[in-house]
Amino acid sequence: MSDKNENKIHGVVAEFTSVASLLAACERVRDEGYTKTDAYTPFPVHGIDTALGIKPTVLPWIVLCCGLTGTATALVMQIWMNSINYPYIISGKPFISLPAFIPVAFELTILFASFGAFFGMWLLNGLPRFSNPVFTDPRFDRATDDRFFLYIDAKDSRFNQTQVEKLLADTGSDYVQSVVEDESPKKVPKFIVTTWITVMVLSIIPLLIVLKMRVTNSGSPRFHVFYDMDFSPSKDAQQNSTLFADSRAMRPDVPGTVSRGQMDLNFQTGIDVDKLTQIDPLGAERLVFAVNADVDPATKDEKPEAAPPSVMDTTPWLKENPREITLDLVEKGQQQFGIYCSVCHGLNGGGNGLVNRRAQKILAATWIPPSSLHQEILYADKYPDGKLFNTISNGIRKMPGYASQIKVEDRWAIVAYVRALQNSQNASMDLVPKAKQKDLEKKKSEIDKKLKEQAEAEKKAADAATAKAEAEAKAAEAAAAKDPT
Amino acid sequence: MSLAIPVGLNNSTERPGERAPLVLGDTTYHDITETVCQVAERKPSKAWVIGFLIAFALLQWFGICILYLFYTGVGVWGNRSPVFWGWPIVNFVFWVGIGHAGTLISAILFLFRQEWRTSINRAAEAMTIFAVACAGTFPGIHVGRAWLAFWLAPYPSLNLWMWPQFRSPLLWDVFAVSTYGTVSLLFWYMGMVPDLATFRDRSKNKYRRMAYGILSLGWSGSSRHWMRYEKAYALLAAFAAPLVLSVHTIVSFDFAVSQVPGWHTTIFPPYFVAGAIFSGFAMVLTLMVPARSMLGLEKLITIRHLDNMCKIILATGSIVGLAYGTEFFIAWYGQVPEEMFAFQNRAFGPYWWAYWTMISCNVISPQLFWIKKFRTTPWIIVLITIFVNIGMWFERFVIVVSSLSRDYLPSAWAYFTPTWVDWSMLIGSFGLFFTLFLLFCRLMPIINMAETKATLAKQIHIAHMDEH
Amino acid sequence: MSHSRPVVKPADDPAFTLPASLSALSFPMLVGGLLALVVGWAVGTYGENAKIGMSAYLTAFMYCLTLSIGCLFFVLIQHLVRAGWSTVVRRIAELYMVMIVPLAILFVPILISLLFGEGVVYRWDNPSYAEVNHLPMASWGEKSRWLNQYWFTFRAIIYFAIWSGLAIYYFRGSTEQDQTGERSVTDRLQYWSGPATMAFCGTTSFAAFDWIMSLSPFWYSTMFGVYMFAGCVLSAHCLLCVSAFVLQKKGAMRDEVTIEHYHDLGKLIFGFLLFWIYIAFSQYLLIWYGNIPEETEWFFHRQEGGWVYVSIGLVFFHWLLPFLGTMSRHVRRRPWAMCFWASYVLVMHYVDLFWMIMPEAHKAVPSAAPAHIGVVGIVASVLCVAGMLSLMVGLVLQVAGQTKIVAVRDPRLRESMAFENL
Repeated sequence: MSDKNENKIHGVVAEFTSVASLLAACERVRDEGYTKTDAYTPFPVHGIDTALGIKPTVLPWIVLCCGLTGTATALVMQIWMNSINYPYIISGKPFISLPAFIPVAFELTILFASFGAFFGMWLLNGLPRFSNPVFTDPRFDRATDDRFFLYIDAKDSRFNQTQVEKLLADTGSDYVQSVVEDESPKKVPKFIVTTWITVMVLSIIPLLIVLKMRVTNSGSPRFHVFYDMDFSPSKDAQQNSTLFADSRAMRPDVPGTVSRGQMDLNFQTGIDVDKLTQIDPLGAERLVFAVNADVDPATKDEKPEAAPPSVMDTTPWLKENPREITLDLVEKGQQQFGIYCSVCHGLNGGGNGLVNRRAQKILAATWIPPSSLHQEILYADKYPDGKLFNTISNGIRKMPGYASQIKVEDRWAIVAYVRALQNSQNASMDLVPKAKQKDLEKKKSEIDKKLKEQAEAEKKAADAATAKAEAEAKAAEAAAAKDPT
Repeated sequence: MSLAIPVGLNNSTERPGERAPLVLGDTTYHDITETVCQVAERKPSKAWVIGFLIAFALLQWFGICILYLFYTGVGVWGNRSPVFWGWPIVNFVFWVGIGHAGTLISAILFLFRQEWRTSINRAAEAMTIFAVACAGTFPGIHVGRAWLAFWLAPYPSLNLWMWPQFRSPLLWDVFAVSTYGTVSLLFWYMGMVPDLATFRDRSKNKYRRMAYGILSLGWSGSSRHWMRYEKAYALLAAFAAPLVLSVHTIVSFDFAVSQVPGWHTTIFPPYFVAGAIFSGFAMVLTLMVPARSMLGLEKLITIRHLDNMCKIILATGSIVGLAYGTEFFIAWYGQVPEEMFAFQNRAFGPYWWAYWTMISCNVISPQLFWIKKFRTTPWIIVLITIFVNIGMWFERFVIVVSSLSRDYLPSAWAYFTPTWVDWSMLIGSFGLFFTLFLLFCRLMPIINMAETKATLAKQIHIAHMDEH
Repeated sequence: MSHSRPVVKPADDPAFTLPASLSALSFPMLVGGLLALVVGWAVGTYGENAKIGMSAYLTAFMYCLTLSIGCLFFVLIQHLVRAGWSTVVRRIAELYMVMIVPLAILFVPILISLLFGEGVVYRWDNPSYAEVNHLPMASWGEKSRWLNQYWFTFRAIIYFAIWSGLAIYYFRGSTEQDQTGERSVTDRLQYWSGPATMAFCGTTSFAAFDWIMSLSPFWYSTMFGVYMFAGCVLSAHCLLCVSAFVLQKKGAMRDEVTIEHYHDLGKLIFGFLLFWIYIAFSQYLLIWYGNIPEETEWFFHRQEGGWVYVSIGLVFFHWLLPFLGTMSRHVRRRPWAMCFWASYVLVMHYVDLFWMIMPEAHKAVPSAAPAHIGVVGIVASVLCVAGMLSLMVGLVLQVAGQTKIVAVRDPRLRESMAFENL
């Protein structure tokens, strides 16, 4: 055994028991001029680099390059993916929104740099390397425990085994040994190879399955993992549902919520609530409660009756329509009036709608004819807009309230339209805009003219008829006279 | 090699101008090897077996719950409108926070040359990785269709023809947490290689020797290798330090870039980082104090180590307290009604109990560490750190749930109630954590032997110089 | 590994006293500084208006204050962590930290402008501010409970009381040790460093809210205190580096401060540059992303006109350039290179404060020509800060002349001298 290995001496190793003796030996060996030396220690020994003359590493530069690559990769990737290849705007940010790209850029810088430091270090160290001649020495196991070894390589130009051994013994080492070739079998144990191959084969299987699936068409329908996520059960308005306690699919307003723009009490009641509070605080409170309770179905039963309009009407009704009067509004009012009011009040507000006519026809005994809207007591000066609104909302006499059917703003639109209707019946010329007055006068004169012509024509026709009749009468008289029988 | 040792094992007092020893007793290099290796080499103790069985059972339960979740859908959780980020995100942030101490101890304390880190950093790093594994589980299963979670990665998809949305903080999170997990793993493993070589060289059994031989990559302890190794270690530490900060910063961005009242506040990044360090150190102490006495590591993990960690808990706990106060003050100072409401609601709203639990555990309980007696009595440390962990879980609960349950739309307001699945998953994640940690205790060197020996070498060197 | 410990020189060694060439500078610096300060203020006030003048003054004041409290924090934190490496430079920080006392006097002009003027520096101080800007009265009423001149003055007194108290306590302790060499002094200072640091953090944060953030009365950012703090700590380390270099050039403490200390200060400067951009970026990102008008206002004004160049310039020249410059170990181990980068960062720290404070004064003067304002504002600011800084350094030299420039009998001095980096 020894014969065989003597040709393959790799170097000489000496064992030390303390850091100080190792450092002293290192310095001595360095000063003797040996360069291919190394020390093996269980922990990093401070100052051994200079003692052995080890040069600093290039690792930091590798790491710097990796880090910069990481930054560049991240920025290019994000800009290309989110701003060029598939550009879309999120939360109003520009396509290339650099601040938002910084976090990922930072992370990838660190990740790449760390890979550089980790793998770069192993690469420079020539690890992993499982076979190392120094490991053949049985005492070398303690290099990772509590012993320090100094090694001089046989490749050193000054290497001479006996000299080196003597030198190392001189430095105070009790154990100097030559390092010989590792003669353990070079082949990797069979079971490792088998396990390795099995694992590799097994790990490829899922990939193959995925690849096969990608290129295969299947006739069977796809598998639904969450059936109700793929086909969500949607409901119609009046259906019932088991999901909620009240089994209604259509959800009522959430208690305590108010729709947008519905907070204005004046707007909702048609009453100047501030004034009412001064005159009748209790009534105002009840009114406010009623309005609020109105949107809460749960407390609807407790709702006290809205303040009934008293005979001596002291209620501070809103005098003016709170909505801005525009053509659109009036047209909206016309449409709503047509839907809800005209059936009784008639399209012209005269009180002779279809229902009324039908009631007259069948001589309904309890029928109270709807009011004509063209009575003086219903004009704006006697019947303020707010009161009219209130009537539409809450009803009067036989008329039911329409609050639940017509939206608040639409009720105000109806008020506006009713005013327009009333005006239409008693309009004077000065209500018409100047620009249209001429037009209207022209039309009026045309109509007057036509009427006049018509009247004249009628008169003529009547005259002619009379004349003819007279003539006929005369002729008849004459005939009668001629024919006495 | 003998050193002047203070009375007993207490080295927590230090005369100015002298440094108290970090390795106690008549310890030699070989003693360090023995002390650490015996943990993995001897037969498992009864306590370990029982602990492992419990943890493993919990892990199984966790797995069953996840399967149930996949099968039924995310409705099994208590997440309801408007609290769609319920316990899963609370647990995620909680675990990520715990995962901060390890790399922090390793990296930042390394950069600040705090030598006392050497005997605790290994276990803390391992804890980091296991905590990140627990943390990673939750967003993964929270995405709804967990089997499509790979859509988060920017890969050229043939189905979607589009890319992830890089302006979303949630995607930053994916990058941050996975980078953090990867770098922590590298850092942990790299630090462990010399110690694995020690394991290799001590193993009597052929297969054991082979396994540790492969893991230790043929490490020989060559000085040239050590030189590059130390450089790489310092570089990794220099990257890991800002990385630790960035991860919880980005987690805080998940909340703070939104406009939800109580979430959108600029102090979130440093405040989350401080909170993470706080909870991480608390978890390290909760684990290490019992482990230290059970595994016989008192000479290496000394009272001074515990004392220092308690001080860090005190400091970060106070920073967290200051941040709570600042948030409250600015909510009032800013005079934005929604913000003012959000903070009033936290303290006096329906979740007042969570808020005051958080305050008493996070702000008040660590203040006990002003008293030295509390910093040096192991059982008190464990008690307080458990409270800190509870408090930090509640902090995330308060942030997530109280803000979401009272957002801008009052009609959507609702009270969040966890289900049994929520509870099971929280407890189950502890099962995952402890299973991994207990396995680590048996299989890996739980103390960084090489660095502890280097600390001892320095101690010897100084003692040596003092003699002359 | 060094085999022998360094020898600590006796306390009366000339290496520990202020070089005569520097103490001779003290008086000219005091006079010149005061003159430049007054002239700077006058240029701003009479060249443009009182607001520009006082804002330039405030910027200069905040610059010196951040340096001083940064040094205070440095001293506190060294005691808190029982640091050994820093003992040789700690006295320099202690000398700057006691400057908090004269700075408290220099704050008086700002208080006067507040108590006797109307909105000269702070817009909220103008009684008609809310009305002119159509602010909601209810929230303004609440807010002015915090932002009013008396409560503001009271708070300022509190901050200065705490800082001066801490500064004097730690300075006295340290100089007392120069005489006695008692170890118990170090123990006592360490004992109080925990609560002291907490008091420091609380007051600094609120001082930043009060003195800079409230310049824009409706803007708020919870992180602002931390941002200020980052600037304080960064500039304090730079100041130590420059001061140590100058002292060594003049012949003091040549054997005590070694390359290792520059290397360490360099690492800390590098680290705090990163911390500064981290805080600055986080603050910007959150406000930019949230896009809420109340918050974006502050950054918006700093993107108008010429300010946008300052804003972007800060990223590149306050962070990127010095960050790359101090990244290499070779730079950090060259004292002159570190001195250069430290002075550079000190200048950029001023630009940072200028960028925080001056746009608020600029914004308030809509009618005048912007170019004119810019020139006058810059001239006034530069004069003010040069004056105030020279005043502060002059005072430091005065104090340093009466004491040692190194904590000569600190028990950790030997450890500090022997310290080596990895």
